Amino acid sequence: MTLLEVNDLSIRYAVEDADVHAVDNANFTVDSGETYGLVGESGCGKTTLAKSILHLLDSNGYIESGEMWFDGTLPQWEDGNGNPRKEIIDDDRYPVRADGMTNLAELSDSQIRDIRWREVALIPQSAMNALNPVYKVGDQIVEAILRHEPQTTKREADERARDLLERVGIDPERADDYAHEFSGGMKQRAVIAMAMACNPSLLIADEPTTALDVIIQDRILEELEQIQEEFGVSILVISHDISVMAEICDRMAVMYGGKIMERGTRDDIFRETANPYTLGLKNSFPTITQKQQQLVSIPGSPPHLRDPDPGCRFRKRCPFAVEDCERSHPPMYDVASVEETGRLQEAMDDRRHGSACYRTDELDEIRTKAMKEETWKETATQSH
Amino acid sequence: MTRISGKYLAKRLVVSYLTLLLIMTLLFALIRSAPGTFIDSMISPEMTRAQVERIREVWGLNEPLWKQYLNFMINYQTGEFGRSPTWRVPVWDLILRRMPRTLILFGASYIIAYLVGPLVGMYLGWWRGTQKDKTIFGTSLMVYSMPAFWLAWLFIWFFDYEMGWLPSAYMMTQFPEFEWTAFTVMTDVLTHIALPLISLSCIGWVGAMLIMRPSMNNVVDEGYVFLARAKGLDERTVMIKHAARNALIPVATGAIVGLAFLIDGAVITEAVFTWPGMGQILVEAVLNNDYPVTQAAFFMLAVLVVGMRLITDIAYTYLDPRIKFGEEN
Ligand SMILES: Nc1ncnc2c1ncn2[C@@H]1O[C@H](COP(=O)(O)OP(=O)(O)OP(=O)(O)O)[C@@H](O)[C@H]1O
Ligand SMILES: [Mg+2]
Repeated sequence: MTLLEVNDLSIRYAVEDADVHAVDNANFTVDSGETYGLVGESGCGKTTLAKSILHLLDSNGYIESGEMWFDGTLPQWEDGNGNPRKEIIDDDRYPVRADGMTNLAELSDSQIRDIRWREVALIPQSAMNALNPVYKVGDQIVEAILRHEPQTTKREADERARDLLERVGIDPERADDYAHEFSGGMKQRAVIAMAMACNPSLLIADEPTTALDVIIQDRILEELEQIQEEFGVSILVISHDISVMAEICDRMAVMYGGKIMERGTRDDIFRETANPYTLGLKNSFPTITQKQQQLVSIPGSPPHLRDPDPGCRFRKRCPFAVEDCERSHPPMYDVASVEETGRLQEAMDDRRHGSACYRTDELDEIRTKAMKEETWKETATQSH
Repeated sequence: MTRISGKYLAKRLVVSYLTLLLIMTLLFALIRSAPGTFIDSMISPEMTRAQVERIREVWGLNEPLWKQYLNFMINYQTGEFGRSPTWRVPVWDLILRRMPRTLILFGASYIIAYLVGPLVGMYLGWWRGTQKDKTIFGTSLMVYSMPAFWLAWLFIWFFDYEMGWLPSAYMMTQFPEFEWTAFTVMTDVLTHIALPLISLSCIGWVGAMLIMRPSMNNVVDEGYVFLARAKGLDERTVMIKHAARNALIPVATGAIVGLAFLIDGAVITEAVFTWPGMGQILVEAVLNNDYPVTQAAFFMLAVLVVGMRLITDIAYTYLDPRIKFGEEN
């Protein structure tokens, strides 16, 4: 069942005399109970996308267009079962559609506050610094509980906070400690515990493992998987590290320069890789499946995104770029259909394996070439 | 709960005490090295040598310097400040009478400054770069750059001479035509304190604001402020409970510096408003070469600063759990 359906989402940042197109026309769907990954190099718009869901963008950022349909609504619109009431659905003034989904993009500031944490909890990229140094860790969890469940007593909330800490492997006694008395991994886990305080249906984890050492990274990933099992929460996980994705994602989207380049199940992305950018990204990270392989990084650096030209965002670094790529950014093609029919066919369904590349019909050749180290070296000389 | 152990507190108290001893020694050295002695004013040309000797004897000036120093140190620690040759009363009595008046005026303005300053600084830091921030910040800088006495004169001219709304001198009406009751005394003192208090506070709060504003500015981008918002808390709670609470930490350090500035201003302000406090007798005592009063006045100021330092240090450890009292960081 669909939990979050993002349609044609574009987000921009206003800077002096230009607009940064941080996210451009993103489409994807997260199902209940699954782990969905967003992967891509630094600056490709992952954090922007995550923050926009909760209207937490920096003050110069805005949602240019798009919808974010979410299965969950405001407390005052709910019936006894947590679904929106019929009169709310029928009334056009409310951004709630017939299947009960609410468009988060249209909620006001005060309305989105009731979605934050209660329905969607976001663990920020700098979770290490996300705990307030002057309050006890436990009290900060209690604060979240009391904010969304005002009928709960302080005592109950405190007990729940301790229980949550215990569930992520932190001694409940440590609820009385301050953040500076926690190690890096503990802080990360405490924030995960805090995120589960109101039993949200979506947990967004922005770079949950970056800045942690490898052993702790693994433990945090295990923690997330365990949390998902226990609470049945969907996780939208963000990372620049494609090997993290390989470990925990059911499905994922690969982003580049504000665009989703490829999306599909984990197997689609790792075994049936279709997009040149994904191929390059895979080459540059050690993965579990292809160990001992030589790491080749994609030459060049990501585009700046300030009023970008209409061509494919990746073409300047792409060893397979052709003339078509200059004209416009390619639409998302349905990889399976293209392989079957040999003709480019746009993807109609968010859930199917899709790739934004004009040469999706020449996949075999591209895959073979992408394996070779020289392929990626050539572009470097070409582009300069 | 408490992060302050008895051991640290004891250590801190000892350090404060030693600081005071050092200040006393400096005071003694400073004042004895000033030209002239206070008995100069008691000696007239027609006095005999024996009479002069007697006066020197009475005031202990014939003792060797080290003995004088020792006496001074012992006397001060037993609260024995001597007699004032100018006012001809025990110095302690003088202080007891004058000190509360100074404390009322400056305590009140200190409290106002440290309530208003951080509050305004909080909003300006939160609204950084907006027109509101620029306007208020610019105006307050202008006020801050005015000389205190000049602003005071401006207030005296306007509120007293031009409008006649508020008295501009003394603590009370000098020759009242009304009867003294608890109520009239209170209102009388309040109207008298108003002008000096306003002119002191007008400038005083800016110092605290100047620390709070950038401090607030720094925490606005902190992860915990973002997380507070992500938790669904409203902007007010995010600003006050999460941002301002952290931004306040450096202000506590600034408070002790602010106190020193305040004492600096006390002398001038009391002179301008004829406020009969410690600042005023300090000036008179210095002009009259009145050692005992000068020493005692400076000493009391030192006690005040050292005491405040201790208090802000303790407050600091409560404000910032990362710091343990008495530990260097
Ligand atoms: N407040 C802002 N104003 C202008 N540009 C911004 C702002 N915030 C982010 N950007 C730009 O938007 C683009 C996307 O940034 P974002 O932080 O979403 O990327 P990211 O994929 O999360 O990268 P990272 O891996 O570094 O976290 C980048 O080019 C970044 O420079
Ligand atoms: Mg990011």
